[in-house]
Amino acid sequence: MTRDITLLPMPVLADGGRHEGQLILADGQLVAVFTWVTPEETVGGQERAGGWFLEAGFGPCSTLLSVTPPVLATLDEAVNWVQARLDNGLAQP
Amino acid sequence: MTRMTNPLILKLDQRDRLSDDEKRALENAITRIRVVEADEDIVREGDRPAESCLLLDGFAARYKIVSNGRRQISALHVAGDFIDLHSFLLKTMDHGVSALTTCRIAHVPHATLEKITDEYPHLTRMLWLDTLIDGAIHREWLTAMGRLSATAHMAHLICELYLRLKTIGRAEGDTIQLPITQAELGDTLGLSTVHVNRVLQELRKEGLIRFQGDALTILDWERLKKVGEFTSTYLSLQNEDR
Repeated sequence: MTRDITLLPMPVLADGGRHEGQLILADGQLVAVFTWVTPEETVGGQERAGGWFLEAGFGPCSTLLSVTPPVLATLDEAVNWVQARLDNGLAQP
Repeated sequence: MTRMTNPLILKLDQRDRLSDDEKRALENAITRIRVVEADEDIVREGDRPAESCLLLDGFAARYKIVSNGRRQISALHVAGDFIDLHSFLLKTMDHGVSALTTCRIAHVPHATLEKITDEYPHLTRMLWLDTLIDGAIHREWLTAMGRLSATAHMAHLICELYLRLKTIGRAEGDTIQLPITQAELGDTLGLSTVHVNRVLQELRKEGLIRFQGDALTILDWERLKKVGEFTSTYLSLQNEDR
């Protein structure tokens, strides 16, 4: 399914203070907010050390549906992750 | 069987004096002791155990797995916790319990528990109390999970674990050993590792706690309690007739 994916840079005041962030919109609707996290923020987990972290997600991108909210290396990977979620809908985590 | 005082006896004796006879009955109830390594299951969902497990040393987690391997830890267990006393009456385990660290487990046959309930009414009430406290902890966790901020929730958990370990003589001053990973804390609090790291950082920055390896020191108990909206009533720590 082709969707119009838009990225909108937006600083996010997350726990721990200001983070660089990106809003991801699909067909004009907000589906995910990714923030740039440091390796200190991912220590002790299975996630990648540092990267784009799913700070908030909506609908199929909800953080509750994720084994662990992902940390992705690049924004392209973040967009692919969002696309896959939207394709699978609520059927598959 | 166990030379050092059984932590369950320490835990119950704190809430109401146990007689020497009752203490002996608990000591003698243990038929064998086994060691379970970290990340191994102590009991599994669906098991129908003929014995209940008492944790003598280590940390264990009561958990459920939902689809795609997502895990929710619904209780953390420390020494002195009678991990699956429930299975005596519930029969089939509706959840699993796994070791977070190396655990020393004492086995108590259900037949012996039945004998205790027949012969020791006060000790039976104390074991009942133990499961009631487990239930009270679940209620408190549910409230914290649903309505506290991530930072408050973490502060609440630290306050609780500190008091539970202190009760069984496993705190040194303001310091406890907490060999639990950020990922396990995340599964406990329903948070991502990223959020776990952020809130621990915040509690450190506020001067409430200090981590050195696995040693967690509480630097400001009163403020930590305030941040976590913590009151210890649900742990029933007072010694009274029960």
